Amino acid sequence: MAVPEVKEKYAGRIQEVTLGAGSRGKTVAIGGESTLPFLHFEGTVANRPAIAIEVSDREPDDWSPLLKEAWGDVMGDPAKWAAKAEELGADVIALSLDSAHPERGNTGADDARKTVRKVLEATTLPLIVYGPGQKDKDNEVLVAAAEEAKGERIAIGNAEEKNYRTIVAAALANDQVVIAKSPMDVNLAKQLNVLIGDMGIPKDRIIMDPTTGALGYGVEYSYSVMERVRLAALGGDATLQQPMVLTVGYEAWRTKEARTNDEVPQEWGDWAQRAILWEANTAITLVNTGANLLVLRHPQSVALVRKAIDRLMAGA
Amino acid sequence: MSKYIAKAAIRGATAIVNEADQLLEAAIADLGADKEVAFTNTAYYLPTILGFTGKEVSNLGQLRDVVAHCKTLLNEPPGDELWLPYLGETLDSGAATLLAAETIEAVRFVRGQQPEKIDGLQLVGTSAPGGPGYANGPIDDIQLRAWGIQLVDGRMPGFAAIVGCARSNEAAVTLIRELQKRNILVFLSGNVNGRSIIDQLQEEGVEMGYDTYIVPFGRDTISAIYALGFATRSALTFGGMSGGQIRDILLYNKFRVFAFVLALGEVDDLKYAAAAGAINYGFPVIADTVIPQILPTGVTAYEHVVSMPFDDIEGDTDTDKARRMVQRAIEVRGVKIKITDVPIPVPYGSAFEGERIRRADMRVEFGGSKSTAFEYLRMVDSDSIEDGRITVVGPDFSEIKDGGAMNMGMVIEVAGRKMQEDFEPVLERQMHYFVNGASGIQHVGQRDITWIRFSKAAVDKGFGLKNLGDIAHARLHAEFGAIVDKVQVTIYTDPEKFEEWLAKAREAYLNRNVRLAGLIDSNVEEFYSCTLCQSFAPTHVCVISPERLGLCGAYNWLDCKASYQINPTGPNQPIYKGTCIDADKGVWEGSNAFVYANSQQAVDNVSLYSIMDSPMTACGCFECLVMLIPEANGVMVVSREDPSMTPAGMTFSTLAGVAGGGLQSPGIMGVGKYYLTSKKFIAAEGGFKRVVWMSSNLKAIMADELKQVAEREGDPDLIDKIADERSATTVEELLPFLEEKGHPALVMESII
Ligand code: SF4
Repeated sequence: MAVPEVKEKYAGRIQEVTLGAGSRGKTVAIGGESTLPFLHFEGTVANRPAIAIEVSDREPDDWSPLLKEAWGDVMGDPAKWAAKAEELGADVIALSLDSAHPERGNTGADDARKTVRKVLEATTLPLIVYGPGQKDKDNEVLVAAAEEAKGERIAIGNAEEKNYRTIVAAALANDQVVIAKSPMDVNLAKQLNVLIGDMGIPKDRIIMDPTTGALGYGVEYSYSVMERVRLAALGGDATLQQPMVLTVGYEAWRTKEARTNDEVPQEWGDWAQRAILWEANTAITLVNTGANLLVLRHPQSVALVRKAIDRLMAGA
Repeated sequence: MSKYIAKAAIRGATAIVNEADQLLEAAIADLGADKEVAFTNTAYYLPTILGFTGKEVSNLGQLRDVVAHCKTLLNEPPGDELWLPYLGETLDSGAATLLAAETIEAVRFVRGQQPEKIDGLQLVGTSAPGGPGYANGPIDDIQLRAWGIQLVDGRMPGFAAIVGCARSNEAAVTLIRELQKRNILVFLSGNVNGRSIIDQLQEEGVEMGYDTYIVPFGRDTISAIYALGFATRSALTFGGMSGGQIRDILLYNKFRVFAFVLALGEVDDLKYAAAAGAINYGFPVIADTVIPQILPTGVTAYEHVVSMPFDDIEGDTDTDKARRMVQRAIEVRGVKIKITDVPIPVPYGSAFEGERIRRADMRVEFGGSKSTAFEYLRMVDSDSIEDGRITVVGPDFSEIKDGGAMNMGMVIEVAGRKMQEDFEPVLERQMHYFVNGASGIQHVGQRDITWIRFSKAAVDKGFGLKNLGDIAHARLHAEFGAIVDKVQVTIYTDPEKFEEWLAKAREAYLNRNVRLAGLIDSNVEEFYSCTLCQSFAPTHVCVISPERLGLCGAYNWLDCKASYQINPTGPNQPIYKGTCIDADKGVWEGSNAFVYANSQQAVDNVSLYSIMDSPMTACGCFECLVMLIPEANGVMVVSREDPSMTPAGMTFSTLAGVAGGGLQSPGIMGVGKYYLTSKKFIAAEGGFKRVVWMSSNLKAIMADELKQVAEREGDPDLIDKIADERSATTVEELLPFLEEKGHPALVMESII
């Protein structure tokens, strides 16, 4: 019996987006594939999924002790932290300006500028800069960050349906990339991409974050949303062809399994191993449904995920 | 195009180009062609010249090319006999004027004559070098970026370039305050007989400068060029364009920068020429004197030049008149104003929507069993209403005893360029949610069965009838700003006026009903989609036509049409019907293609009027389920509210599991209950006569409508022939019932 031909020929292609320019020692391109993840026999997988390590401008008080153990002192200094992250194999630094949150320090535009400058100087990698997730403060510090990093082609986020205009305007004025974040829904993701695109920012400067849950906390739901996004994009829907970034570390380290070892059943096994695997597993799952950029927290999960990606890319 | 304006503009342009030529040559003679020229702190050279020509001018000599280019743009003024569309020539002369004006300012910069010296002028925030006593001159790049972001993200709706001198100082101050109130950036320049609006504001002690969003460019018309330089740089900075891409730059401004020009006082040739320059950018000109108007032609989507002679503006004082002038300017340019707060004395928010006011807590009610209340929203001509005007005609409720009732009618008049009469009922129905959002206020019903209660607590806090108008005004702007520009509310309690308007409202309701009845699938070009439910039923698309509403009952065709206007990227998109494939089953090429593309390619054929052949998918929100009962040669209709057993051997909730999830399952489908009364209800299978069983609560809620359907079907007793859960919960019980009643389905052709 003849083996049936299973290759698909897709009409669409994922947009390639490059992070980093100017003084960055390297640039990172993501997206650009013409097939589903790692189906090298079927199309091109132009770029391997990239790994960003999350660095906060404020020593996190709600992070797992395991993360504190892993990073040690550098957690008090975003510049040192970024430098160490580069050393440990990050492709991109995801700097979170968390201290700008009204309840976590309420720092302002000037502080943001200084932090961004310091981190740019401490690492040669491209940057993502996240606001604290509060509308007014996001606008304040992301505008400052975008201006400070003019010429460096950083990504700023999150631009969300309720608050995207200022962030996109800042990206427009300073030639940066925006991250469009939507709450696990294909149509909302699409709508946001359209709205952002309508402001006149070119498609090679939009990354989408369709939002994920961690393993055991809804990752299967995000998996299927992303799968639908990707199928639609490859099917030719130009409004969904942006590469996808996911804040895996944030999600994975919120789970009970990763966060704590208090009063957990014995069969759960070694805490550190469990927590790292939790993050790595979530990441590898998502890479298989089209994630192009993963924001991670633990150095060991970074290593695990990198190894997995190496293997998945082997056929390229 | 008015020949008068064309002639004046061309004359004005010719004069200023010549002036630029002379000034430039004199400066080159004095200072040399290599003398550097630059505006204050900008990376965009001379920005308007850069935008139009792509030339990066940095010395005087290079300006010669610019002047030469201006000359090629000049045309002969139109002769007296010939009538041509002069717009092209006028726009060209407008462009020449701008380039010449920028050339002149550049020369003045070189000679230290810009920014202009104005004695005693103290700006709060400026980039003018040289300290106090100077106009601002051009805006620098840092300020451009700070304001540009706000213009792009919508915090700042737009800018107004004011040229000339207002009728009085009072008018000048009001103009500025009205613009400031709306967060509109103000640029000032020009004069009339030597007196400028800058002088007027200075005399009145109005603070000017970056900090107050009022920028005085200079006291001559030429300095108005800085406004266009600002607009050009906005496009270069935020639109990603580069110098010379003038078409894109102009389009960017037309569509994204909501600016307009207020020409105050006499308009001379130069002002006409400069106005023509502004029109290039899509910025309309509103003049307070008698000048010929230029109506929409395509360069702007609105009037290009509007004449609003100050003396003819309604109003007793200059303040009133100036206020109206600003309002008009905003309408012409379509600047959208955001209202975020609802200005009423009680808390407001959707959290209060579910609140019920018990009789004991009630201060007064309007409507219900003891009085009548109505709401009537209508579209009117923009000129006939004033935005934000709220009037109560008649007594308030202070004379009514606690817990009493009173007649009241609320007439909401709206105007807007995108408003359509079809949207009246859509907006009117929103009043239910709007009013309910106020804490201590309860709203039920609609039209002339509206029923509103005010609680004692709310009235104690100061809530009065007028506040109903405040709510309508604020919320209509906030939610429907895309289609509504102006809202005026009148509340009638005066008995005579109340009756008069109630009669008018009822006539309108009747007309709407007639219009709705006449709104049929074959008479429209487009249907609408709803994909709101895809978040949980990814392959489901509701195709909504005039004769088939969404299956949740919440969206009919008009709702979708309005929703699409409001949110063009939202879940309701137009579906152009295209060629009809099957008129009986309701299949079109357009709807098939849309559903295929939006169902993840899961569904490629949808019949709008059939349950047996490719019925519409269902998400899970349907108000009713229609299901085939083959033994009875008909269908049953089960309501979501009906918990009882059905002849299909399953209850609603079990059936819902079979029908939902975005699947196409012939023989079962979800519908909105009003689809039952449509002529197109399973028309392919013979229509409503197929209904052999129906939940009794549906029969009760829709008694009147169903009666009409029965009559339409030529069987006035039809509803009584339909079984319900009281007469049959199994097929065995159903069949004898139908036999006994002589149900028509039994003798219709086989449904399968
Ligand atoms: S059921 Fe209602 S909300 Fe859902 S898709 Fe249909 S019309 Fe839209």
